[in-house]
Amino acid sequence: MTLTTSRRPTPGHPEPAGVDNRLVVGGAALTWRALPTPVLPDPAAVLAHSAVHALTAAWQHAVHGTELLLSTTGRVDDAMRAEVLEAGFTVTVLDDDGGHPSAPARARAAEPGRLWLLTSGSTGRPKRVGHTLDTLTTVRADQPDRTWLCPYAPGTYAWWQVVTLSLTQPGQHLVVVEPDELDDWPSIAAAHGVDAASGTPTFWRRTLYRDADALARVPLRQITLGGEPVDQAILDQLRALFPAARISWIYASSEVGASIVVHDGQAGFPVDWLDRETPGRPTLSVRDDELVVTSPYHGAGLGGPVRTGDRVQVLDGRVLITGRLDSDEINVGGSKVSAGVVRNVLSGHPAVAWARVTGRRAPVLGRMVVAEVVLTASSVDTDEAALVRWCADRLPEHAVPRRIRVLTEIPVKETLKSDV
Amino acid sequence: MNELSRAQIRDLMAQVLKNQDKELPADDAAQLREIGFRSLDFSELALRVEDETGEELNFDAPGLRRIATVGDVLDFLVELQHQ
Repeated sequence: MTLTTSRRPTPGHPEPAGVDNRLVVGGAALTWRALPTPVLPDPAAVLAHSAVHALTAAWQHAVHGTELLLSTTGRVDDAMRAEVLEAGFTVTVLDDDGGHPSAPARARAAEPGRLWLLTSGSTGRPKRVGHTLDTLTTVRADQPDRTWLCPYAPGTYAWWQVVTLSLTQPGQHLVVVEPDELDDWPSIAAAHGVDAASGTPTFWRRTLYRDADALARVPLRQITLGGEPVDQAILDQLRALFPAARISWIYASSEVGASIVVHDGQAGFPVDWLDRETPGRPTLSVRDDELVVTSPYHGAGLGGPVRTGDRVQVLDGRVLITGRLDSDEINVGGSKVSAGVVRNVLSGHPAVAWARVTGRRAPVLGRMVVAEVVLTASSVDTDEAALVRWCADRLPEHAVPRRIRVLTEIPVKETLKSDV
Repeated sequence: MNELSRAQIRDLMAQVLKNQDKELPADDAAQLREIGFRSLDFSELALRVEDETGEELNFDAPGLRRIATVGDVLDFLVELQHQ
């Protein structure tokens, strides 16, 4: 184990091009260059206490190439912590007082330049995926100057996407919000001139639901969605609020990197993108309703075709990603229903701010489609029967959710996803 | 244990049909086929009973039987609550 104390770039690690970009974090404005460089073990698993500590760890890595797994105290439980110590990392809780290290079970040599991500665990236990700053950097062309909102949990793939953009491209500034500031992000963003924001559909729905007027005051020119299936309703709602903005959705994961980027304001991607091989670009295929990606931005050891576990459906010339294979399909008395397709229909109802669709155990049919919704503030009078009728007009009979529960708040996890 | 009466289950059954602009006849001997009450409707009714009582019904317990009339449905669900 070595300790890194130098503030100067390590030879072989040129200064990142975005070093003078502006960062706003915890209400304070500074630059990457002005961030303190913490003393970190190598390899280190850093559990950041807050957003600023996560940024300092990322900066430390960018300058020195320290082998780094970055996450937060909340995302790493005791079992994962033991696993990481076993894998030779010094687990370091980073807070205002500096690093608080726990020694690894067995010390090992560091792998310079290696970054580790913990996948969000929507498929079960989080697992480690190896990357480098280079494989995490997917935006390489020159970009117009932007001030980006970063609402993501530190160390997630989405967080690294925004962070590497700011580290590697001059003119890409960052405004980072802490989890406890999340509900109030539009006012923070408006105050700091945020004109680009990336979030999950749940994040955008929640923002629209809480205070669409406050959102409209953020001068957004770039809106990005990712991390969950993106439906037409949320794209249309954002378009109505920001007619001139570029609205993009991105399909990306720790395993295959950013593989699909769509700017035309439509859900899904054109079917003729399938099986198209272009050097340096991911190849997209469908096997047994599953999206398969062969990507140059893949994680370590994940070359070749990767089965993504995401279910797709081709509809009207577009390939729609409807949800996770293991949870999207509901078998209603032998008829297969895509929860994502039902969710898209429900989300298209003008009174619905958010929807979750699941299968519920039922007699005779085995399972039945049920839903939970959050209604928009002006539509609290909409009843279950009206929503059922809306679905019945648009879906096969067995796909219509018969029980629809109304929730008062959009549930959200630390990853900004709902369990949809 | 919360338990719904036959009359309460009948009200829920009427609600299931009313949501489809159908009416539940007063006669227990009315044929399900004639009033358009099908397996999806039956499943919905069972879920409504569960939601009202807050208890899961044990669908596996009783063997399948012939359910042809309104009375059959009500009898079956009353019985299921005892399993």
